[in-house]
Formats: sequence, C-alpha cells, structure tokens
Amino acid sequence: MPSISLRNANVKFIVDVESGKTLKSTVIQFLRPRKSTPKVIHALQSISLFIKEGERVGLIGPNGAGKSTLLKVMARIYPQNGGEARIEGHVCPLFEFVIGFEMEATGWDNIRTRALLLGMSPKEIDKKIEGIARFTKLGEFLDLPVRCYSSGMLLRLAFATSTAIDPEILLLDEVMAAGDAAFYEQARKRMDDLMKRASIVVFATHGLSLLPGFCERTIWLDQGRIMADGPTADVIRAYEASVIKEL
Amino acid sequence: MNKTTQKEVVGEVVQAARMWPIWLRIGLQDIRMRYRRSAVGVGWIFINLAIMIIAVGIIYGNLLGQELKDFLPFLTVGFISWGYLTSSIVEGGNAFVASEGYIKQIGLPIYIYVFRFFVSITATMLISLPAYLLVAFIYSVRFKWGVLWALPGILLFSMVSFLLIAIFSHLNARFRDASHIASVGLQVMFFVTPIIWPPDILRKRAMGWIIDFNPFYHLIEVIRRPLTMSESAAFINYLVVAVLVVLLSMVAWMFAKHLSQRIAFLL
Repeated sequence: MPSISLRNANVKFIVDVESGKTLKSTVIQFLRPRKSTPKVIHALQSISLFIKEGERVGLIGPNGAGKSTLLKVMARIYPQNGGEARIEGHVCPLFEFVIGFEMEATGWDNIRTRALLLGMSPKEIDKKIEGIARFTKLGEFLDLPVRCYSSGMLLRLAFATSTAIDPEILLLDEVMAAGDAAFYEQARKRMDDLMKRASIVVFATHGLSLLPGFCERTIWLDQGRIMADGPTADVIRAYEASVIKEL
Repeated sequence: MNKTTQKEVVGEVVQAARMWPIWLRIGLQDIRMRYRRSAVGVGWIFINLAIMIIAVGIIYGNLLGQELKDFLPFLTVGFISWGYLTSSIVEGGNAFVASEGYIKQIGLPIYIYVFRFFVSITATMLISLPAYLLVAFIYSVRFKWGVLWALPGILLFSMVSFLLIAIFSHLNARFRDASHIASVGLQVMFFVTPIIWPPDILRKRAMGWIIDFNPFYHLIEVIRRPLTMSESAAFINYLVVAVLVVLLSMVAWMFAKHLSQRIAFLL
C-alpha cells in the first residue's frame, strides 16, 4: 500500500560559495588558508508526517519555506540528513518540467526516454506513445529535434509524457505556470483525471483558492518547519492570518 | 553529512544495473545524437582515427625508423585504447553533471547515469575497432587463435573504464575542473606511454623503467599484444592491471561513500 512516512527528517544544504567549487581553488585554500565557514542552510528541520493511501495533501507557505525540498525528499531525489523517510509505492514527480531534455533528439525520442525514466516499460510505451503524441498537439514538430521547440512546446511535451503514467504517488510543484489558454484547460482536465487515479497526491502551490476544492488536508511550511497540519480550511485561515499580521 | 555504508553503495549499483533498459537506451541515444548533425555520422570516428594514423604513422614511422607494416597496426590499437581511456576520464567525468536535468527531476539511483556513459563510451570504442581490422587487412597481419586473448583484455580494460567514469563523475560533481585537470595530465602521459613509439626503443637505451612503472602501458598491452601479435600479453601486464582494478575499486568506493548522497545537492 502506498504511503509516505517521515520521522524527524532534516535536510541541510552546505553552500560554500567562495571556495571549494573547483579543485584549484580548494588546493589554494589549503595552502593559504583564509577563514571561511561554509554556510549551512537548514532547508527542512525535523519534519514528521504520515500520508496514507487515498489522501490529497496541499503544501503551502512563503517562498523558500521548503515546499520543493520536501517534495524532493518524497521523490527520493534528496536524501535526508538524519531522521527517517519511508516512501512506499511508485512515485511520479512533476517538478521543474522543462529540464531534462535531449536537445538534439526528436520529440518522439524524448517522449520515449522520459517515459522510461519515469518507470514505464518499453511495451507500455509502445501502447501509449500515440496517445501522448496526440495530447501534445505538436503534430509534425515531433519529428524535429527539440532544440527547435519554444518553451511552451517543451512544456506540452513534458507534461503529456509525465502525466501518461499511472502513478501511485503523485508529487506536483506548481507546474501550471506556462502554456497558452487552450493548453491550460486541457492540462487541468488531465490533471484532475491523474489526481483521481493516483492514490496519494502531494501538491505545492501558492494558489490558495484552488486548494479547498482539491484536498481535504493541507500542510503549512515556514523556514523548513511544519507550522500547521490539518483540515485545509483551518490551515489556510491560519496562514492568511499570519500573512496579514506581518503586513 | 551522512555516510553511506558499503552495503548501500553496492545495493544502489545493483539496483541501477537492473534498470538496464533505461541506461542502455539513453547511452546509445547519446552516440546517435553526437553524430546526428554531421553528414558522415558515426563515420567521424573512423575519419578521426585515419587522419591521426596516417599523419603520425608516416612521420613517427620514418623518424623512428619503423617498418610501416608493423608500426601502423601497433599505432592503431594504441590510439583506439588510449581514446577509450581518455574519454572515460574526460567525457565520463560528466556523467552526473550532464545528467543534472534527470537527477534533479526523477529519483532514480544515480548510478544509472554512470552506466549510461559507460555504454556510450564503450560503444564508441567498439565501433572504432573495425578500423583496426582494415589496417590489419591492408598490411596483411596474420591472425592466429591467440588473438582471442583480446577478449579478456577488453573486459579488463572496460572494468578500468567503468571505475574511472565512476570516480571522475563523483569528483567532477564536487570539483568542476577535475576532468579538465586530469586531461592536462593525460596529455603528458600520452607522450610518456608507448603509443606513438614502440617500447623496445626505450628498453634498448636502458630506460625501460619509464615504461614498467607506467600502469597505462600495461593496460594498453592487454589489448594491443593479442590484437597485433595473436598472443597473450605478459603475465606482469595482467598482474598490474588486476592491481589497478582493485585500487580503482577502492577509490571509487571511497568517493561513492562520501559523495553519492550529496550528488543531488552538488549539481
């Protein structure tokens, strides 16, 4: 049964901006030490939560609150430093869509590669690739290398492929930003459909008005900590109250 | 920072190896992409090699007073294996950096990207091997059964290649200039290693130790001798390469232990 369980999960970024990015500068730093302490950013601090099958969870909070980082821990992209993270089930992450293309490869090739990486079997891909191509509405452009595509076209390609799988756990990170009006409507429908199929959805957004219709549970993050975790209406009210207070 | 245990590293590598349909496909796609925009396609691998062999062959062959019919086959295998070695370090070092888009988006075991580069680099080497057959045909090199010793040779060499890709991909994710610095070192090694000159020349002048202490020489010999002479390489060659594999495995494991958990953060 798919589930996400985090216990006291921490994520630290160590940012050493000045030294240490190249071997040369590290050697120089070693020979002529200058005082510089690496900056540690606690992106997540002792996060504990449990999401069970069938739940739809919203993530809210200001920029830099740790929403994306939390999603990346759930996607097994970032390992946690200390604490425990158990993620059961097939994860489908929909993050920074427009990265991870082979620019010289055609649209068709990119669909196949991406689908493989997302966990589709070659047979499954053969079955679904026509449908994916139709959804992109890119037609003959699919025969061209994707370096010729506009960013909207890349988005269509990535979105169509990534949403064609049947995920158990769907992780979304505010993905609807680009794309034209027609695509937006098309994408919304597909998203609704996908979210119905997935057994767990975690969904980071700034669009507070969308949330109540979507998920019954919401988590409010700030500076890497959970500020509130509960019924969507209550959490949003508390969050909005705190934002107004700061103004 | 958390350190990964040996078991976890091995487990991740095994898990990545099982995903062979993924890395095999992307690896082969990488080769197709590289030559897609050129008219001769994969033919560039041959043209490149041919120009080098003809230029170096004629000049050094005459300079060193070598018989072209022995020297050119020797040179060809030398170039192919040296190319395999350098691309493992220079291109293979980019395994994680070049796969950043995938690593940050999809949480698959990162070692599939090491396998991906291993596939494209090894396939490039295998594609260039027929060039040697052509040279061997032109200079009527005689093949005997001993030529089959080339198979364990290639296997050993590819193990070294895999380990080098693993080491330099970690190193490059941490220090972006690691491959660049290594490639400067390799340029020096190219002239110190018997590739464009036969080892006998130095041995006759009692400077054989320069060769014997050079692991790259032993590495090249395990492929070159079977292919050019149809016999096994010297025992010492295999011994040195075996020790090299063990040492590189230890280094690779050390890097994996310290860095593999941090790769997603470092990119």
